[in-house]
Amino acid sequence: MSAAQTRRERRQGIGLAIPAMLVLAVFFVMPVVSLLLRSITEPEFGLQNYATLIATSTYAKVFWNTFMVASVVTVITIILGYPVAWMLSVLPGRWAAVVFAVILLSMWTNLLARTYAWMVLLQSTGVINRSLMALGIIDTPLPLINNLTGVTIGMVYIMLPFFILPLQATFRTIDPSTLQAASLCGAGRWQAFRRVLLPLSLTGVLSGGLIVFVMSLGYFVTPALLGGTSNMMLAEMIAQLVQSLLNWGLGGAAAFVLLVMTLALYAMQVRYFGAPGQEKS
Amino acid sequence: MYANIKTIGLAAGLAIGLSGMAHGETMVFTAWGGSTQDAEFQAWGAPLVEEEGVNIIQDGPTDYGKFQAMVEANKVTWDVVDVEFDFAYQAARDGLLEPLDFSVIDRDAIDPRFVTDYAVMSFPFSFVLGYNADLLGDTKPAGWADLFDLEAFPGKRTFYKWSSPGALEIALLADGVAPENLYPLDLDRAFAKLDTIKDQIVWWGGGAQSQQLIASGETPIGMFWDIRLWPLQASGLPVQIQWEQNLASADVLVIPKGAPNKDTAMKFIANAATPEGQKRFFDIITAEEVEGGVGGSGNVQTLPEGGANQVTMDLAWWGENRNIIADRWYAWQAQ
Repeated sequence: MSAAQTRRERRQGIGLAIPAMLVLAVFFVMPVVSLLLRSITEPEFGLQNYATLIATSTYAKVFWNTFMVASVVTVITIILGYPVAWMLSVLPGRWAAVVFAVILLSMWTNLLARTYAWMVLLQSTGVINRSLMALGIIDTPLPLINNLTGVTIGMVYIMLPFFILPLQATFRTIDPSTLQAASLCGAGRWQAFRRVLLPLSLTGVLSGGLIVFVMSLGYFVTPALLGGTSNMMLAEMIAQLVQSLLNWGLGGAAAFVLLVMTLALYAMQVRYFGAPGQEKS
Repeated sequence: MYANIKTIGLAAGLAIGLSGMAHGETMVFTAWGGSTQDAEFQAWGAPLVEEEGVNIIQDGPTDYGKFQAMVEANKVTWDVVDVEFDFAYQAARDGLLEPLDFSVIDRDAIDPRFVTDYAVMSFPFSFVLGYNADLLGDTKPAGWADLFDLEAFPGKRTFYKWSSPGALEIALLADGVAPENLYPLDLDRAFAKLDTIKDQIVWWGGGAQSQQLIASGETPIGMFWDIRLWPLQASGLPVQIQWEQNLASADVLVIPKGAPNKDTAMKFIANAATPEGQKRFFDIITAEEVEGGVGGSGNVQTLPEGGANQVTMDLAWWGENRNIIADRWYAWQAQ
């Protein structure tokens, strides 16, 4: 195959991408740019909206909440999801298919329905508290909802599939005989995990964790329904600024800061672990 | 996710609307969705559809950001919008609304508290003190002060989450301010009063959630929309209303500036402004939400007066101060 031919084929490939690029330009890039413009032109030209964001303690607290919740959710998701992903890759095919089906089914159920289900479970008169009180384990209901606990439980549950599925793909590329080799060389279970499995799967953990973290940063429904007003996160604040207060300038500034942070994290991932889908060995 | 479904619905609706344009007038009606919007459409829109062949497309939910954006971009797709009254005052001041044509709409038929040059009541409602009688002791709450009495009524109570006329008035009335001295609201005093129970407040963001909270007993006491409590009462739940100093307000219908089908929009609003239109609306919501249609209508008829102790909220004042209060409200909530 000549070099010219390869180049031509490459150009044809670009042609096929044009419709998608146009859709992105019209429905994503343009609105983002116009929102950015509003953030520096309303009420007047300048950076006053960004200054307000930094200077107002309420907004600073919302930024802190957002990062804190996203971090807690990511760490817990990794701890809970890792063994599940490993189990998926070592289970015999039929059982793996069942576990897969359960994970996907939960992913495909309406988000709002799932979140309302958590409300019913977690509230003071909910299933969990009533059962614990009936069993005599607690006297007064545990505060499981309208606080950080509620947000964390609800979000970890929603994020788990987004971590398990990519990590499971990483596990598939690991040859199980490396673990056998480790134990033949005298490594105990813990050592085999720490020195063989974990390093080999670290890329998957970090990129899965990043997906969870970035998604959590912009989450709306779950924090709004399971959290209290003092756990407000950025997405809810932006909606409030724009929809209820008609403050497009400030809302735009907050949205833009969120976008920049997300892009920075993405750039970090590309820099250290390669672009998604492109395994770095 | 919700919004996407709505958008698809709107696109489909627009397609149908365009194809129907050859036959008669078309207009878009936007409200908050659910059974209330259905009832509004049935009561005031359906007659236009049947008698004049008007094509009415429904959109929603109401979104003030979108409202403002379409007026400013001069690309208005909504003709009649159901909004909160305080927003209507603010929007009129900011030039976002069309003045209404009172040669089409009968102004005299409307409760004068709930009509302006730019807005006509869609339905009245009151914030009331509601409680679950099974879960409170023998003492029953007698007024707003009891909502703040953690000794007589310990435990969680529920309040409306969004910055809106209601909770601040309740706090001041509970603190002993006379209704005639409520406005301008003493915000410092109101927030200080709310602070005394803040950690016991569970916020409700929508009507369905408020019903769930009182019915399950999660919050046996709180502030509610009266129209959301009747269906619970009618279904046999031990929910009681303390009408003392109930706070009257209304949702209103407005026409965004530059709406493409103003004339048809005026007719729609004219239908809503008649006593017959109001009766049709309340008959539908009570029939829909309450099996057998008991309960509701009786309450509705007393509502405009609402008893001697009803307090009418000053929504014009709210229109002027809406944003300042909202900033403070959300900052206070987030603390």
